[in-house]
Amino acid sequence: MRLERLDEAIAVRADFQGGVVTPLAFRRHGREHRITRINARWLDRSGRHPHFYFSVTVESGDVYQLRLQGADLVWHADSVSLEG
Amino acid sequence: MTNAEDIATEPTPQPPIHGRLVLHVDIDAFFAAIEQLLDPRLAGRPVIVGAGVIASCSYEARTFGLRAGMALSDARRLCPNAVILEGHAQTYRCFAAQIFACCREVSHAVETYLDEAYCDLTGTERLHGGPVEAARRLKLRILETTGLTVTCGLGPNRMLAKLIGKTVKPDGLAAIGAADADAFLSPRPIEQLAGVGHAHARTLRSMNIRTIGDLRALSPELLEALFGAPGRLLHGRCRGHDTAAVNPREVPQSISRETSFHRDTADRDEIEGMLEYLVGRACRTARELDIKPRTVAVRLRYGDGEGDERARSLQTPSDADPVVLELAHDLLRRLFTRRVALHGVGVMLSSFATRLGEQGALFDEREAGRRAALFRAFDGVRGAYGHGALVSGRALHLKDRLEQDRHGFVLRTPSLTK
Repeated sequence: MRLERLDEAIAVRADFQGGVVTPLAFRRHGREHRITRINARWLDRSGRHPHFYFSVTVESGDVYQLRLQGADLVWHADSVSLEG
Repeated sequence: MTNAEDIATEPTPQPPIHGRLVLHVDIDAFFAAIEQLLDPRLAGRPVIVGAGVIASCSYEARTFGLRAGMALSDARRLCPNAVILEGHAQTYRCFAAQIFACCREVSHAVETYLDEAYCDLTGTERLHGGPVEAARRLKLRILETTGLTVTCGLGPNRMLAKLIGKTVKPDGLAAIGAADADAFLSPRPIEQLAGVGHAHARTLRSMNIRTIGDLRALSPELLEALFGAPGRLLHGRCRGHDTAAVNPREVPQSISRETSFHRDTADRDEIEGMLEYLVGRACRTARELDIKPRTVAVRLRYGDGEGDERARSLQTPSDADPVVLELAHDLLRRLFTRRVALHGVGVMLSSFATRLGEQGALFDEREAGRRAALFRAFDGVRGAYGHGALVSGRALHLKDRLEQDRHGFVLRTPSLTK
């Protein structure tokens, strides 16, 4: 496994139903990545505002870590884990 | 990994037990399990988390003889196909916080450590039903909330709860009553008794004492002569007696902050800068817990595998960065005398005084109050924007060398102690 740090602000299509946020797809470098699986979700309460984290698998099989900043609702792609 | 339905249909392992009740919750293969959760491609594969040595490894890795604390070079030789990851300390803390929040739903008193918790269930039967059922529901809740499995042990005290849990790892649930403690403990190896480390076990084995039952032949006086005051505790423990309370006030024995460098270094600026940063983080943790350390220790690990450590006490306990740092730098100067590059550096604070127990210096009180207010303000900024947002003096050297995230500098192998 090879981890690449990204820390890029991205546009995410998400579902906010029932008070639970679920990312569905995101756009990075002009390309849309459809999320096929939410592997894990966790909340980081350290700091002034909470951050919502998601580990997601996209169609290509790569695993991304996404972060939603509670303060301004901006999404970030923190990292991608690549096979090999 | 067990799913929720499996837990729900498991038979009750033991009948309910009465009197004082302690539940021990242990997160199975904690760091490695989280990595497998975050990346499903790792499921079923041997996974190691660590740098230099194994911090945690999956159960698949353990079948190859891998254990926490083993050198990574040995691990690679035993299991060449293992996936080795440096880990995500802050992510692990977040998962632990979620699990401990679940524990607090079933107990008023929860004492937490890095990957385990003790919950006092005494008198909670009317609220949560029988303790075994409550533990089973807690396991299920944790699995649903986090996707992680835990092993639960129920007993009349902390020691027995933890020991009985060890017999059913991973993802197990077991209970023991006080009446069964004697038979349960007797045949177990002496190393499993709380308070018997490697050195004590070696001494006892040299006396042909191999099991917990064998230890009962020794008088409290002899145990005290052998191991000092804590030796007396072993006299009760080997009989299943442990009166230690579950203490939800999370005052640790020590606060350690250590890391290895991204590359072995003899650069004084880098070493002193890292030490200053680590001291800052450790002192901030002490302030958050409202405790002041008296003893400061600095630990060095050289590139050739040798290590050295030295500790000294402050005249008055203090949680102020400059006070602790002055002593830490002095210790570093005295310790770092070999002409070998350093692999890692660390600081440990211990012998804590709580605010009530503190004897301050009479004429320094006003100055101390101003300094405390200043550090409260620092901590507020660091809490909101990361510890790297406000660094002083030598730690500024790290800004050009290390990446930062919202928690501070990204260290290679951050320690995860409380």
